[in-house]
Amino acid sequence: MVELLEAVIKRPNFVAFVALFLWGLYIAITHHNLVKKLIGLYIVQTSVIFFFVTFAAKQGATVPILLSNDGKIEARAYTNPLPHALTLTAIVVQVATLGVSVAVVAGIYRNYDSLDEAEILKKLE
Amino acid sequence: MMKHIPAVLFLIPLVAAISMPMVVLRRPGWGRPMTLFAACAMCVTAVANLLVVLNSGEIRYLFGGWRAPVGIEWVADGLASVMMIAVSLLATVCLVYGGSVKLPGSARRLALHYILILLLLSALTGVVFAADLFNVFVFLEVATLCTSGLVAIAGGKALVFAFRYLILASIGATFYLLGVSFLYAATGTLNMADLAQRLPGLLGSKAVIVGLVFMFIGLAIKMALMPLHGWLPDAYTYALDAVSPLLSSLVTKVALFAWIRIMYWVVGAGHDAETAQALRVCWMLGALAAVGGAFLALIQQDVKRMFAYGGVSHIGLIMIGAGLGNQTGLAGSMFYLINDAVMQATLFVLAGVAISHYGVRTMGDLAVLRERAPWMIGGLIIVGLSMIGIPPTGGFFGKWYIVLGALQSGEYVAVGAVIVATLLTMAYFMGLFVRIFASHYGGGEQASPVAPAAEMPLVLRVCVGILCVGILSLGLCSDRIVKVLLDATSSLKL
Repeated sequence: MVELLEAVIKRPNFVAFVALFLWGLYIAITHHNLVKKLIGLYIVQTSVIFFFVTFAAKQGATVPILLSNDGKIEARAYTNPLPHALTLTAIVVQVATLGVSVAVVAGIYRNYDSLDEAEILKKLE
Repeated sequence: MMKHIPAVLFLIPLVAAISMPMVVLRRPGWGRPMTLFAACAMCVTAVANLLVVLNSGEIRYLFGGWRAPVGIEWVADGLASVMMIAVSLLATVCLVYGGSVKLPGSARRLALHYILILLLLSALTGVVFAADLFNVFVFLEVATLCTSGLVAIAGGKALVFAFRYLILASIGATFYLLGVSFLYAATGTLNMADLAQRLPGLLGSKAVIVGLVFMFIGLAIKMALMPLHGWLPDAYTYALDAVSPLLSSLVTKVALFAWIRIMYWVVGAGHDAETAQALRVCWMLGALAAVGGAFLALIQQDVKRMFAYGGVSHIGLIMIGAGLGNQTGLAGSMFYLINDAVMQATLFVLAGVAISHYGVRTMGDLAVLRERAPWMIGGLIIVGLSMIGIPPTGGFFGKWYIVLGALQSGEYVAVGAVIVATLLTMAYFMGLFVRIFASHYGGGEQASPVAPAAEMPLVLRVCVGILCVGILSLGLCSDRIVKVLLDATSSLKL
C-alpha cells in the first residue's frame, strides 16, 4: 500500500491525467445540458492529449534537429518527436469533432428551443 | 502502377468529395452522378486490387516512400481486399437506391449529403487498409463525424440521436486513443507489423493489458457490441431512408474489422494462454450480444428499429466467430461479416421502400403489403432466409463455419448461443410474415390510410434484385470466398 502511494506521489503528471479524464467523463455522463456534455467530452479528449505530452517529456532534451554534423549523435539530447506529431493530429481531430457537435447542438436548439436533454426527450414524445 | 492501387482507392472518393463543392456551384444537378461515378470507379478499382493481391501477394504501400516503422504503411492483403469489394459494391447499390428516395432541401444541401457519403467511403477505405494504429484512430473518427452528419441531415428527432451518437462515439475514440498511447509507451511503435514483433514478450505487462482493454472498449462502442449499443437503434431509425442502408451495412462492420485486425495481426491472439482468456471474453460478449440483440428485436413494433436490433445481434454472432481463436471460426466470421453487410443493406432498403412507398412503418401496418408487393415480399423472404440461416443463402454458410470453429475449439456454449440467436431470429421473422400473410390480421383498404400504391419503381426493383442475387450468390460461391479468406488468414498459423 505504501509502495503504491509512493509510486503515485512520484508521478503527479499521471495523477493529473487520471483526475482530468474522470472529471470530464463525469461531466459528460451526469449533466443534462448538451453544451456541458460537450465540455466534458472536450476535457476527456484534452486529458488524453496531455497524457501523450507528459510521457513524451524529457528533462534536458531539445528538439530533434541535428546541431552538428560530426557523426556523433547523442540520442539522450533529443526528445522523441512522434508523440508531439500524434498530439497535433489528435488536436485537429478534436477540433473537427467539436465543430460538428456544436453545429448539431445549434440545430437541436433551433428545433426544440432548449438545451436540456430531459426537456428535449420530453418534447420528442 | 499496380502497387499504388490502395492509395488510388482512397483518393477516388476523397478527390470527388473535395471537388464537389466547386462543381455543384456551377452545375447543381451533378452531385449525384459524380458520387455514383466515384462509387463505380471504386468498385472497379477494388476488383482490380483483389486480382492483383491474389496473383502477386499482398501490397504494402509506403506513403512518401518512407520505410515501415518510421513511415506510414498501408497493407492490402486478401482480407482487406475482399472487405473493400464489399464496401464499394454496397455503397454503389445504396447510392442507386438513395437517388430514388426524396431528400429534403435544395440541390445545395443534397450536394452536402453526397460530400459526406464520399468522405465516409474514403474514411472506411482508410480503416480497412491502415497498418498503423494511429491511422485507424483518425479514419474511425472521420467516419464517425460523417456518420453523425448523415444522421443529422434528416433534421428533427434525428438531430438529438446524431448528437448522442457523436458524444458516445467520440468518447469511444478517445478510449481507443488512450489505449494506443499505452501501447506506444510500452513498445515505442505504432506500426502493426512492428508491434506484432515486440508485443509477445510484453503481453503480461499491465500497461499493455490495460491499453488493449481501452482499445477494445473504444471499438466496442463504435461497433455497437451489446451493452454499448445504445446509440444505434435510434440513430438508424430516424436517419433518412436513403442513408440508413449505407450506415447500417458499413460503419459498425468496419470497426469490427479493425478489432479483428488488431486482435489477430497485432496481438497475435490464439497462440498462448493469456490471449486465449481474452478471446474467451470476446466470444462471451459476442454470445450475449447475439442472444440479447435478437431478443430485443423480437419485442420491437417499429420495423426499421427491429432490423436495427437484428444488426446488433449479428455483430454478436460475428464476434463469437472472431473470438474462437481458430482459423475456421475466423474465416467464418469474416465471411459472415460480409454477408451481414449485404443483409443489413437489403433489410434497410426494404424498410425504406415500405415506409416511402407503401406507408408501412410498424408491424401493425404490414398487412398492406399482402397481394400488392411481390418484389417486396420476395426480397423479405430471401433476406429472412439468410438472416435465419437456411442453406442456399449466404447466412447459412457463415453460421456453419462459425459453429464448426466453435466445435473445433470445444466451446459448446458458443454453439448454443448461435443456435438460440438463430431461433430468436426465426421468431421475429415469423412474426413479420404472420402479420403480412395471416388473414386475421385485418389490413386491406380499410386499415390503410394511404391508397395502396402500385408496384415499386424500376430502380428500387433493380436494387432489391441486385441485393437478393448478392445474398444468394454469396451462398452459392461460399466455397471460393471462404477459401480466399482461409488463405488470407493462413499467415497467422492458428
